[in-house]
Amino acid sequence: MSTLIQCPKCRATLLESSFNLPDLAPCPSCATPLQVEIFPAFFRKIATGQKAEVVMVEGESSCFYHPQKKAIRPCDGCGRFLCALCDCELAGQHYCPTCLDVGKSKGKIKNLDNHRTRYDSIALALVTFPLLFFFTFVIPAITAIIALYVAIRYWKAPQSIVRQHRIRTIVAIIIAVAELAGITIFFIATATSR
Amino acid sequence: MATQKYKRLTRERSSGGIGIVTVSRSSLWLGEDHLLLADSIGYSENYKRFFFRDIQAITIRKTKTRLVWNIVLGALLALSALIIWSAVDNWRDIGTTIAVSVVLAIFGIPLLLNNLFGPTCTCEIRTAVQTESLPSLNRVPKTKKVMNRIRPLIIAAQGRLTGEEVAARLRETVLEPAAAMAPSPTGETSGDIPPLIS
Repeated sequence: MSTLIQCPKCRATLLESSFNLPDLAPCPSCATPLQVEIFPAFFRKIATGQKAEVVMVEGESSCFYHPQKKAIRPCDGCGRFLCALCDCELAGQHYCPTCLDVGKSKGKIKNLDNHRTRYDSIALALVTFPLLFFFTFVIPAITAIIALYVAIRYWKAPQSIVRQHRIRTIVAIIIAVAELAGITIFFIATATSR
Repeated sequence: MATQKYKRLTRERSSGGIGIVTVSRSSLWLGEDHLLLADSIGYSENYKRFFFRDIQAITIRKTKTRLVWNIVLGALLALSALIIWSAVDNWRDIGTTIAVSVVLAIFGIPLLLNNLFGPTCTCEIRTAVQTESLPSLNRVPKTKKVMNRIRPLIIAAQGRLTGEEVAARLRETVLEPAAAMAPSPTGETSGDIPPLIS
């Protein structure tokens, strides 16, 4: 990664007088109005990884994954002793690679949770889009049943990280039930009128 | 797993150029110690976290998108007005009123909103390992409002730098070492760098 800041448009390296100005100022190269705000992290040196030390004294605690290497701290996830090589720091916590992997796949470490499937939107789409084909009756009936299944089956599944509510799921269930009830009433009314 | 509450900073905006057509939509949220960029792709969401202690720089660049939309919408509005004006005999006719209302709703209101929201821009956030575009910050006033909200949080996590301090630290940490590594005008290079072959 380049240590210099470039103009996003012309890719010219910006002069030091272009930074942390109160308002937009023209790029010295292409004159595009820019505002670049730099924070102290820009000048922070990237920490280099430590080398794992070899166990020198008999009985000294060693790494779970590298028995010949000296342990420096336990894993905050599983408690296993870790050498400098296996110690992975994340938001102030120290994990072994296995705990990081499990934490990511099972969503146990919240800062590694970076994907969610939105079952509420799927259920809502299943009950709304087929209404375009309401005259067929069969398509809305089938999708309403599938929507009900999705809504109930994934009721406890992790929701969107940012929208912590079940309004879409509840609306999907209400519409699905209403569609099924409407179709049933229509067929009963048609059958009795004959 | 403890859930974290996020506060909305921006509404969902299309990651592409034309909002209605593209599927990917992006929004920005404020967490306790980080910004969360949520990209919604159809029926799934992907998240990127930018911790306040790791944010190196934020860049705002003004664009000409508002001007382009003004020209397009203005031209369509003028063309529609011309067609209506040439075709209409009685301006009090109900059909004329409907036609004018539809044209104003389709072209006039977006034109008005395009100017009310302010100049367009692009915004990039930079950390040690990535430079990420923030598509939901696409208007200068909104971006400045968000910046005013997150700046104190970044300063609380990292400290403050004035323009002069940035210039001084840039000279000593980035520009001077870069100048020292550059080849001399005579063509001689330092021992660690291979000579340039022209």
